[in-house]
Amino acid sequence: MDKKDKSDKYIVNYGEPVGMIAAQSLGEPGTQMILRAFHFAGIESTIATSGLPRIVELVDARKKPATPITYVYLTGDAKKNIEKAEVIMKKISEVKMNTVIKRTLENFPKGMIKLISEEQAMSANNLTPSQVAQKISKKLNISAVVDKDKNILVKLKTKNVEEIRTMSVKIMREVVQGIPDAGKAIIQQDAKTGEFYLIAAGSNIKDIIEVDGVDRSRLYTNDVFAMNGLFGIEAARNTLVNELRKTLKEQKIGVDTRHLMVISDAMTYSGTIKGIGRHGLSGQKNSVFAKAAYEETVKHLVNAAAFSEIDNMRGVTENILVGKQIPLGTGSVRLAIKKEDMQKAAVKKKQK
Amino acid sequence: MQAEVINYIKFGIVSPEESKKLSVAKLTVPDTYNEDGYPIDGGLLDQRLGVIDPGLICKTCGARAKTCPGHFGHIELVRPVIHSEFSKVIYNILQSVCTECHRLLIDEKHIAKIKEDVLRPEVDGEQKAELTQVEQEEKNEEAHMSRASVMQHKKLKTSKKCPYCGTVQQKFRFSQPTYFTLGERKLKPDEIRDMLSKISVDDLKVIGIEQAVSNPSWLILNTLLVPPVNVRPSITLESGERSEDDLTHKLVDIMRINQRLEQNINAGAPQIIIDDLWELLQYHVTAYFNNETSGIPPARHRSGRALKTLAQRLKGKEGRFRYNLSGKRVNYSARTVISVDPYVNIDEVGVPEAIASKLTVPFYVTEWNMEKAKELLLNKNYPAVLNVITKDGKRKRTMDVNREELIKDLVVGSILERQLNDGDIVLFNRQPTLHRISIMAHKVRVLPGKTFRINYCTTSPYNADFDGDEMNLHVPQTLEAQAEARLLMDVKYQIFSPKNGGAIIANGEDGITGMYFLTKDNVYLSRDETEYLLGLSGIYELPSAQKNGLYLGKDIFSVLLPKGINYEQKTSMGIVRIKNGRLVEGTITNDTYGKGNGLFIKIAIDYGYDVLRDFIFNSSKLADAYITLAGVTVGVKEYELDEKMESERVRIIKETFEKVNKLINDYKSKKLEPLIGYTLRDSLERIIITELNNARNKAGDILVKHEGDGNSAVEMTKAGSRGNILNLEQMSMFLGQQATLSGGRIKRGYYSNRVLPHIAPGDPGPIAHGFITTSYFSGMHPIELFMHAVGSRGSEVYKALLTGRSGYLYRRLSNALQDYYVKEDLSVRDVNNNIIQTLYGGDGTSPTESRFAEIEKG
Repeated sequence: MDKKDKSDKYIVNYGEPVGMIAAQSLGEPGTQMILRAFHFAGIESTIATSGLPRIVELVDARKKPATPITYVYLTGDAKKNIEKAEVIMKKISEVKMNTVIKRTLENFPKGMIKLISEEQAMSANNLTPSQVAQKISKKLNISAVVDKDKNILVKLKTKNVEEIRTMSVKIMREVVQGIPDAGKAIIQQDAKTGEFYLIAAGSNIKDIIEVDGVDRSRLYTNDVFAMNGLFGIEAARNTLVNELRKTLKEQKIGVDTRHLMVISDAMTYSGTIKGIGRHGLSGQKNSVFAKAAYEETVKHLVNAAAFSEIDNMRGVTENILVGKQIPLGTGSVRLAIKKEDMQKAAVKKKQK
Repeated sequence: MQAEVINYIKFGIVSPEESKKLSVAKLTVPDTYNEDGYPIDGGLLDQRLGVIDPGLICKTCGARAKTCPGHFGHIELVRPVIHSEFSKVIYNILQSVCTECHRLLIDEKHIAKIKEDVLRPEVDGEQKAELTQVEQEEKNEEAHMSRASVMQHKKLKTSKKCPYCGTVQQKFRFSQPTYFTLGERKLKPDEIRDMLSKISVDDLKVIGIEQAVSNPSWLILNTLLVPPVNVRPSITLESGERSEDDLTHKLVDIMRINQRLEQNINAGAPQIIIDDLWELLQYHVTAYFNNETSGIPPARHRSGRALKTLAQRLKGKEGRFRYNLSGKRVNYSARTVISVDPYVNIDEVGVPEAIASKLTVPFYVTEWNMEKAKELLLNKNYPAVLNVITKDGKRKRTMDVNREELIKDLVVGSILERQLNDGDIVLFNRQPTLHRISIMAHKVRVLPGKTFRINYCTTSPYNADFDGDEMNLHVPQTLEAQAEARLLMDVKYQIFSPKNGGAIIANGEDGITGMYFLTKDNVYLSRDETEYLLGLSGIYELPSAQKNGLYLGKDIFSVLLPKGINYEQKTSMGIVRIKNGRLVEGTITNDTYGKGNGLFIKIAIDYGYDVLRDFIFNSSKLADAYITLAGVTVGVKEYELDEKMESERVRIIKETFEKVNKLINDYKSKKLEPLIGYTLRDSLERIIITELNNARNKAGDILVKHEGDGNSAVEMTKAGSRGNILNLEQMSMFLGQQATLSGGRIKRGYYSNRVLPHIAPGDPGPIAHGFITTSYFSGMHPIELFMHAVGSRGSEVYKALLTGRSGYLYRRLSNALQDYYVKEDLSVRDVNNNIIQTLYGGDGTSPTESRFAEIEKG
């Protein structure tokens, strides 16, 4: 048993319950996690969710992370040229009406909406009120003009209060520049290579990848579902591993990546991303007993009875419930003996 | 060893015939005991259902309370009721079926498609001959799984007009818990049963229901099974009063209403009254199954407490599944307070005599150890045999009077239960058992006293300390269990954590400090001292002396190192070089000797776990002894600032405040560059926080530079044994920014946008939001103290919140992943043989030994 006797390869033991060990390795340090770790330098770490909430978010397979972030690397000149990088940034960075418009004033009797411009925000995004007016009139099929105070006047055909209100809400949600759901982007400079890249607070990588000058081979987002949608399940699996590892590293918690791989693979091996909770992996187990012992006991038993389900008693929980050896570790080994040998032994014993 | 194998367990619904077959008695009297205190015949505690009072005899099986397994009875309900737990299933079935011809509301084409796409046929007669047993089983399982997956609670896509008889379907409605309407008409249970029983076997199969075992019409109950008495025992109170179980109470209710309903029907009462009573009966049955059914008021005890009925018995943390089946009570275990003993090896546990004399280890008598067994039995004092288990399983206590007789009756196959003794293997555990190294196998050392004794180095896997912690001890009772404990769970095999391959069993605190001081340069010890230190580990050979006749600290440490070991490591305190078993350069710190070090891995690779275990044990004794000899004092003096440092402190604070003020001015004049995803105001806040945290780091740098050798607090930080720079800063420089739960500065307080009335409204400055310029040593100003308290309370609340959340995360993780294991081919699979990974971790390396290869290479 001494490991010294083994060959130079330090290989896992056969039967090792690696799933349970992975769960323990991530579960045990959970209590040590602190909300606000000492961050590494860089802005992305100050805005991203971290610590236990992030782990829970990843492992639950939430459709949208609380703080999606996309890393956009650039090709060609834009790598070294900040002006060219800026052009690409402008194409991507999402500017919504509510950033360039301070507020809306609705005139119900006249059926008009007045949009008060935020001049600073407009100029910061290289926009003019007339451009904005043009964009929204085209997109929403309404007539919008700029008045002498550089505010935008929208004239509607209806005088219905409800419709006017809905329209004004709709206008404020409209994207005037950049890619919808790409989030606001900024330029960053890599400390090592000195190349420029973008960080965007969104995860619409499907559209970002179409932008010219974007390095498609290095596009990355922390949104697992977005990665799955664009690059497929294996990319999603790697994203999961990366994000889990990054989150733990921030907290200075050393967990072997192999454990994170087991968790990520468990969540993705079926081809779709499944969370680990009641609605994901645990809820889709074959065993009735395992499901009943976990959560929603009565529901699972009732279903089992109505649909005459069969429990094959192969899992850990089921065998513990009935007081039998679990099929992992030393329990995964069976001993067989030939009938003839048994008979021979019996004969021998009798002779004695 | 296990003799029986459970192949599978199939669920189904108990049919009326089956319940009658199961039942031993029809119950008619809605009461329990008569005036004399005897169970009434035909009552709910009828003696045919089993007995619970000692002395009474079961009328069905003739056994006494302890041995009678209990027997079911039944109640005949005069009007049928719906099994409320299944009402959703019933609703889904009825919705999919024509109200007139009772066929599925799907045309034949679609049915064929479902059959082809989803349903797999079970193995029939012809195939049986061709396939092996295993293949047949697989096919049948597949068929079963596919069937179960068809509907499972979901309504099938059905047409509004029956494709067979052309009837336009009326709308079915269902409201919780058992109220069904078809169009405008309320459906009575017997009508529902009629509809359910008219659905053909084939149609049910398409829905996913196997009529033979789960006939949906059985869900409308006419006979109600009554569980045996020992399932719902009554308790006799001190006053002699009897208190019935909640289930019995509910059953009494059901029987009372049933009786009243029967009387009313026989008396020809108006339909309204009968319907009312019928509904009442339905309510009671519903509550009997699940008292938390939505849509009904929970049935209550006289005291107002809601009754615990069948569903409540199974559900949740205290329910049957999680409390009694997933977790079980055990014998052969002990629990007491733990305390330290540096002279107990790391793989030992000190067991108090009182416990050792109560716990037993089985001694299996064979033809080869018969003599030894007899010898053991003769012992009148410790270690004695407490019980003898004869071949037919009877347990007999050993007493002076029967000892001779027991020895005479001893045969091969008898088992002696002897008292726990030195060297026995036991499992030691501390809750919460968060990871597998929270249970390890120790060797027993019986010691005087009343506490379990463990070595300090073994505390970290258990996360134990000695402020009153209690731990549990279990004695494995079979030879297999003992062998597995020794070969897999022994402490020496758990030195490296499966979490990341770092040493988790290692010295800490004083042990590190002691080793640090011992192995510093120019530490010389006298011969007396050296002999004392080494003698602790049973070493009587001295290292070679220096020219002055003294012994070098590093050499003393080297004696404990395995012979000929070579090891090199860069640490935060410079390089550590061990050549040919001798520490030639560097000082031992936490990096080389504490948790997660590489030296232990080197020893494990080259010398094995036994040598490593003894090295940890012996070196910890050495370190402890040396620190006792040398002495380390940490006093207030260590944290006092001299004038120069005081001026540095003032300077840092002044500079920081100036910077923050500049940021605020930039913000006001809108020159500040905002961060992505943040408004200008939030960006300011973020940047200020970074700036204020930087101030503390700067203070730390200066502190380390200034405080040289001789300051014990700094020395301990350097050794890595206790305290870090942040602690030192906060004690002698200043506390810095106090944070709230959400990670921001302290903002809440008065309406006028300030934390305290002493602050100007809207002031974004450092002091106004909890930056503390004083230290623990100097004491805080009142406002600062308040801010500090806000921070402390916040972190305390957060800690409580976090433990709950992370506990649930752990439960979910372990539940989802527990069935995964490594196969012979190093692939990771679940118990149903689905492949999760083709090669574990991409390289098949064990995480526990993940650092071994790298260290081995050097």
